Amino acid sequence: MPDLRHDHSGKIQIVIDLMRIKTLGGISASGGTVKLGALVTVTDLLENKKLAREAPILRDMAVKFAGPIIRNRATVAGNIIDGGPAADIVPPLLALKASVKMTGPKGRRTVSLDKFLTGYRQTAIKVGEIITEIVFPSPGKNHLHGYYKLARRNAMAITVVGAAIVLKMKGKTCQDAGISLGSVAPTPIRCYEAEKLLIGNKITPDLAQNVAEACAAVATPIDDIRASGEYRKLMCEVLPRRLICQAAGISIDPTS
Amino acid sequence: MLRMAAAIKKKAKAKKNVPLKKKIVRKSATKKSLAKKKVSKKSAAKKISRRKSTVKAKRKPTTSHTFPRKYAFAFSVNGDRVETESPAHTSLLYLLRDLGFTEVKNGCEAGDCGACTILLDGVAMNACCALGIQADGRDLTTVKGIGTVENLHPIQEKFIEHGGIQCGFCTPGMIVAAKALLDDNPTPSREEIKIGIAGNLCRCTGYVKIIDAIEAAAIELASR
Repeated sequence: MPDLRHDHSGKIQIVIDLMRIKTLGGISASGGTVKLGALVTVTDLLENKKLAREAPILRDMAVKFAGPIIRNRATVAGNIIDGGPAADIVPPLLALKASVKMTGPKGRRTVSLDKFLTGYRQTAIKVGEIITEIVFPSPGKNHLHGYYKLARRNAMAITVVGAAIVLKMKGKTCQDAGISLGSVAPTPIRCYEAEKLLIGNKITPDLAQNVAEACAAVATPIDDIRASGEYRKLMCEVLPRRLICQAAGISIDPTS
Repeated sequence: MLRMAAAIKKKAKAKKNVPLKKKIVRKSATKKSLAKKKVSKKSAAKKISRRKSTVKAKRKPTTSHTFPRKYAFAFSVNGDRVETESPAHTSLLYLLRDLGFTEVKNGCEAGDCGACTILLDGVAMNACCALGIQADGRDLTTVKGIGTVENLHPIQEKFIEHGGIQCGFCTPGMIVAAKALLDDNPTPSREEIKIGIAGNLCRCTGYVKIIDAIEAAAIELASR
């Protein structure tokens, strides 16, 4: 919408409003899959009870997302398709290993979210296509999760570094892991190497440290008015370590 | 052709009459031909007619829908039905202000400041973050729908009592946001009030008096 407003060149000639297509809305969870309609707003993420059970990380994110009046309007698909590096909805969805369902003149297709985001404000969507749904496998009842939005204010702030973790546990062993960072690369990124380090292992402070270092290794932050690249790089290590330790109930030095 | 020739004759006559000359220039859109004083009437007329015809040919395909195309739609603002026409890309904020609902303030146009907060079917949102045409068939409420000068809403009364207004630019949005908050949660804590008006910026009051006012309004509304 702000892009539309800034476009005075008349490049945008046709606007199609999808906001009233009822089938594009709604949150459902069945058969181990959670589906978010393209028109699900951030307020829906915050208030939906089914989602609070299935993926509470989205609620944690929604609380931090802009302010209440923006949350009433902002949609999940809109935040994804904007392709911005600081999109707050994307890191939790990456950690949940979400996929984007699209439909267009050539039929339907599904692309995983990390492949959907191809570059700075660029996505894999083609002309004529729309996002219909965002789907992700339910992480299960006993998963651990954590989301941290580091920003200069509590509300209406653009993320300096965002971090999200989703860990599927069996006893004290991590079975599957999703770790992602926002605002530290041209798009929000998944930290594959860090995930591999966690899978099949018990979470210890040393492992958390190694994982955090692996997260920081893939980050390529830039300097801007909100923070320096150096600071962001450091936070790419601090935040995942803090989230993993908090989620696993390991007490850590609060200054670290 | 005949009209063209007549226009050129006029031009020749009115050479000394400057304002008329200007008018003709605009009509025939041939600044260059005017500059060339020695062009014969015939050839000039030909030139103009050719130019005109090419312009016409170019325009023809777009005559069916010229950009920006206007769409007719209707919605209600504070209970009154409004029928209007607007291009698809006009924001709801611009549309409302152009229709005279200037109580919806234009602060940032990017959803950052909340000065344009309105209720769309009872849900608070930034008018700048919606297209005008998306209001089709909806019920909008601006601050004037919450209370008027003659009949103030308790939130507005308390804003005045507690000094929640200084320059007043954020106030229409702030009151709409406060209304949405109190509709949703009639007994908010101070922290919940802060979260409820998080999308509305105020550069004068430092928020303390605004929060005081909303807190007092909640008590006032509960006692009624």
